[in-house]
Amino acid sequence: MKRAVIAFFVSVLVLASVIMWLRMSPEGMSIHEVTQIGIIFLMVVFGLFFAWRRFSSVRRGEPVEDEMSKRVMQKASSLSYFISLYLWVFVIYINDRVDVDTEVLIGSGILGMSVIFVISWLIIYLRGLRNE
Amino acid sequence: MNNRIKELRARHNMTQEDLANLVKVRRETIVFLEKNRYNPSLKLARDIAVVFGLAIEEVFLFDD
Repeated sequence: MKRAVIAFFVSVLVLASVIMWLRMSPEGMSIHEVTQIGIIFLMVVFGLFFAWRRFSSVRRGEPVEDEMSKRVMQKASSLSYFISLYLWVFVIYINDRVDVDTEVLIGSGILGMSVIFVISWLIIYLRGLRNE
Repeated sequence: MNNRIKELRARHNMTQEDLANLVKVRRETIVFLEKNRYNPSLKLARDIAVVFGLAIEEVFLFDD
């Protein structure tokens, strides 16, 4: 329950930050910024989905986490960590060759990590955990 | 590995939610088990077998 509340508040906080960013930014936004905002919105949707799953479990009187959800989370975390290493190698490669601000690269890397985690979780969840 | 959870649940007139509450897991886990998309831990397999009053190997069917 506590984690559901945290996930909900973090999602709302991120959403509020993005809305502030949108309102404070000058008229024209670059494609890069629009892409980043789009990805952030997707992550917020996923965070809210996670919080909703936990809230609905509590409402139904089910455990918030059980052995399957923990194993899916564990596998998704390890897989996304492994893939993220390659993402950072790619970011370093880009950093040497393209003239992009370091903050932008780091921000993109962190966003990329969250996208990789969501995709890993979805793949493992949809495939299921059969004979290993 | 296959299992007879769906069949046994129907025989005991039990919903997925009932079984999930009895073995203290999410309903989703029972759905995944019935679709053979998840292999349970030994503890969960035993808990499910106990609910149906059977041995583990009577609920979970091994290929070999």
